[in-house]
Amino acid sequence: MQISLDLITGVLSFLFTLLILSYLIGDNPLFRIAIYLFVGITAGYVASVIWWQVLTPRLFSPTIPALFAGSMIERAIIIVPWLGAVFILMKISPRLSKIASITMAFLVGAGAAVIIAGALIGTIIPQVSASINFFDPRLAAARNIDLLEVMGNGAIVLVGVVTTLSYFHFGARPQTNGNPRRFVLIEFFAFIGRIFIGITLGVIFAGVYAAALTAFIERISSLINFFGIF
Amino acid sequence: MRVFTAVIAIAVGLMVLLGYFFAGFVGIQTLLLNWAIILAGVASLVGIFNLIAVHTDKIRRAEKGSVYSALLVIALVATFVFGLILQPQHQIMQVILNGIILPVEATLMGLLTITLLYAAIRLLRRRADVMSIFFIITAVLIFLGSATLPTGDVPIVGTLIRPWVSQIWALGGARGILIGVALGTLVTGLRVLFGIDRPYGGK
Repeated sequence: MQISLDLITGVLSFLFTLLILSYLIGDNPLFRIAIYLFVGITAGYVASVIWWQVLTPRLFSPTIPALFAGSMIERAIIIVPWLGAVFILMKISPRLSKIASITMAFLVGAGAAVIIAGALIGTIIPQVSASINFFDPRLAAARNIDLLEVMGNGAIVLVGVVTTLSYFHFGARPQTNGNPRRFVLIEFFAFIGRIFIGITLGVIFAGVYAAALTAFIERISSLINFFGIF
Repeated sequence: MRVFTAVIAIAVGLMVLLGYFFAGFVGIQTLLLNWAIILAGVASLVGIFNLIAVHTDKIRRAEKGSVYSALLVIALVATFVFGLILQPQHQIMQVILNGIILPVEATLMGLLTITLLYAAIRLLRRRADVMSIFFIITAVLIFLGSATLPTGDVPIVGTLIRPWVSQIWALGGARGILIGVALGTLVTGLRVLFGIDRPYGGK
């Protein structure tokens, strides 16, 4: 008799869902077994994905053609990551782990540049532009929205942005009694900012809770459906 | 060695950064980022190897909970070997993905329902300040506004207040938090590029 892969998937899914849900009665060995297996399996799966989808196409496959049929530049281009990989493998040995810092420096440098560009081009400029655009009468007219309504909403958003940023301003001067205290205006803005942050986190909480509830209902539904098969 | 690693980090960072703003540096930027992807992949494998080493050490010392560590190591090695032989797209690997990894992730997400509710109640009991009060009021308003009654949306709350709060008031706070995080990220990146912070080793 041949067991279908769908059935095996269903049985595994049912079993692991039950084991994880057992946490509702408290931390127990069944939950721990499921979690440790999950961590092991996920790490193994991720390692195989890295091997086949990152290292094989970008490192292993181009090496032989580049070394035997490529120009000097092509050889250099493929040798550098091999060298970096060897250096980073030195991290396994405590005695040689210092050599790995060369590759780590390379990764940190590249990563720092990517996050600088990402923060600037991907967040700061678009978010500031979007806040400014609230006050553009031409954009409001193009979207056929009442200018007063747009301006009012834009003012709320602007106050929210400024006061939230003020809340995260931690520059303070020492008072006569030695205790540090923020400038009075910053303190006032920070208080308003707390209200905006509370509202924002409340909306995020509601969204995450709704998503978690959906996942919970889907899992319970899958358990009921599994029994429906038999 | 400390100066050498700092020079590498600064030089690589500057060349990658220039690639975003000047077309002449795009070629070198692509090459460096390709190398960075390869090295990040190798670093991840070293990290996974470290996970095996830590748990193997726990098993060797017969520490408390070493049975769980043994399960973890066996599951990790078996999945990796299967993945190497069969490749991740193979049917059996898809059974592992759809039968274990995704259901466990979804169930853990579902368990958040209980833990989030518990955390929200604890927040009100322990810290009833202006932020937590607005947090709870907003969350309740959003829930009420999202709920669908047999007669339809909850009047005013669902049609007027919820969209206004979530699309205007929360937008202001979210934008402030996002810009704040981005400014922090920018400064952290610049500190690395100027050699002030050296997380790769050295002072």
